[in-house]
Amino acid sequence: KMAAAGGLRRAGWRLWRARRAVVRCQQCPPLRALQASAALRAASDEHKKEPWASSSQQHFESPPAGHQPEEKPQGPHPSYTGQGGQESEDYESEEQLQHRILTAALEFVPEHGWTAEAIAEGAKTLGLSVAAAGLFHSDGSELILHFVSECNTKLSELLKKEQKLVQLGEAEKKPIDEFLRDAVEARLRMLIPYIEKWPQALSVLLLPRNIPSSLNLLTSMIDDIWHYAGDQSTDFNWYTRRAVLTAIYNTTELVMMQDSSPGFEDTWRFLENRVADAMTMSNTATQVQSTGEAVVQGLMGAAVTVSNAGTSRAVR
Amino acid sequence: VYQVFENVAKKYDVMNDSMTLGIHRVWKDILVHKMNPCPGTLLLDVAGGTGDIAFRFINYVRSVRQRQLQRKLKHHQNLSWQEIFESYQNDKFNNSLGDSQVVVCDINREMLKVGKQKAQHLGYSEGLSWVLGNAEELPFDDDKFDVYTIAFGIRNVTRIDLALQEAYRVLKPGGRFLCLEFSHVSNPLLSRLYDLYSFQVIPVLGEVIAGDWRSYQYLVESIRQFPPSAGLWAFRLLILMALIFQEELKAMIEDAGFFKVDYENLNFGIVAIHSGFKL
Repeated sequence: KMAAAGGLRRAGWRLWRARRAVVRCQQCPPLRALQASAALRAASDEHKKEPWASSSQQHFESPPAGHQPEEKPQGPHPSYTGQGGQESEDYESEEQLQHRILTAALEFVPEHGWTAEAIAEGAKTLGLSVAAAGLFHSDGSELILHFVSECNTKLSELLKKEQKLVQLGEAEKKPIDEFLRDAVEARLRMLIPYIEKWPQALSVLLLPRNIPSSLNLLTSMIDDIWHYAGDQSTDFNWYTRRAVLTAIYNTTELVMMQDSSPGFEDTWRFLENRVADAMTMSNTATQVQSTGEAVVQGLMGAAVTVSNAGTSRAVR
Repeated sequence: VYQVFENVAKKYDVMNDSMTLGIHRVWKDILVHKMNPCPGTLLLDVAGGTGDIAFRFINYVRSVRQRQLQRKLKHHQNLSWQEIFESYQNDKFNNSLGDSQVVVCDINREMLKVGKQKAQHLGYSEGLSWVLGNAEELPFDDDKFDVYTIAFGIRNVTRIDLALQEAYRVLKPGGRFLCLEFSHVSNPLLSRLYDLYSFQVIPVLGEVIAGDWRSYQYLVESIRQFPPSAGLWAFRLLILMALIFQEELKAMIEDAGFFKVDYENLNFGIVAIHSGFKL
């Protein structure tokens, strides 16, 4: 009974401390400084001096890492500081560190695949122990999702830049079919350095556990492309637009897995044809039915084609 | 602590077996699987005198290394002779462990002796070191190890907070702390109930794992023996006590400076694996 009461009291004390920390630190994110990795970063980029103002602004945007009270980064016994705010300039949250590890790990994917080994190698380049790969799932899910998210961000930036050029009058506005073709091609080209191991990644993305995240990333990418495609009349309603482009993207991606032509020219030709089909489809009354079929084909064919692609890639 | 273990050292494995009827092996397997070590990992196993974790670690790393080498060979089929020759020079092709090492540290010389004998008997020759040391004051430098494990040892440490601080100190940045322990209770009344639960259920589970369906039948019968309401409440209480213990240990690990501290229950909370990272 004593142990229980003690345990409960202690748990209560922690809760109270945490709440105090949250309340007090509404002005600044209640982050706990990562001591070991912060020391590593300080050692590695000694000459890179960030101005105080910009770094604290950066930290405002990053989401709080948890409910833990903040502590000084030095010393083995974290003390409860009176002031709020960060202590050092090399201050980052767990999420930011994980982000850095995954980015570093991408370099090792062509050799090790989308695995914990690649993540371990990535951690090593940052000066961390290989055991840091234990922060992530052993099937490489987070690495793949991170990569997809990064590619989508790159695509967004690319499309935004192009849009700016058009707005400034420095470039012509592309017709809708050319726009879609170029956007999908640009996005798929980002897979080229990793194409050997991409079938493996696709199968991991199809795991039930990962489907919510991977589907979310896919649909937001598709929506993004349509957003930048602008107000061009295509006779599609919003749902059809999404389904059509998703089908085009998925089927082209699968074709790319099995394409051995120089510069993937077969894939780009396939893409061109699919987009053209979509354009003619918009003029027929059966568009809803066909897009439904296309989407089903695109998604259901994934599992079969991926496994075939995997074996054919390995042979090659 | 030392005297107790001196007498018990030789019988330690037998004691473990009788207490848990062999399931402790499964728990230790799960621990190493959770660790998922890659070749080149440096492991410190504290209070693991007889070497259970160490041997499992070596087996795991060896099989991972084999797979790596197989993949390399497949890749080499596409290379020229010159490139293959060069890679033989660079890689430590002969190292079946890929430079992985485990240091077994124990406060008890007898336990270490038993462990060394076991290693010889089972044929483990490379990658193992045996060091005499106290978990509260480890004889190692800072930032040395990739992983620190303590399996069924932390309950024997008088100052757990010191042991955790030492663990933090000797781990490299990014290193991982893993602790496998019973979620035991200090209250005598509740611990009796706990023992009842453990000794009734665990032996049967052991037999079930071994594949005897008749034991499963026995388990059902023995659970039925408990008066329904009392049994349920006792069970709930046990779970609650185990949870409090696990949360306490998690809090202590966080206090030592570890991040992403989490625990995983095995066998309905009899045993838990706590994990934390030095970030």
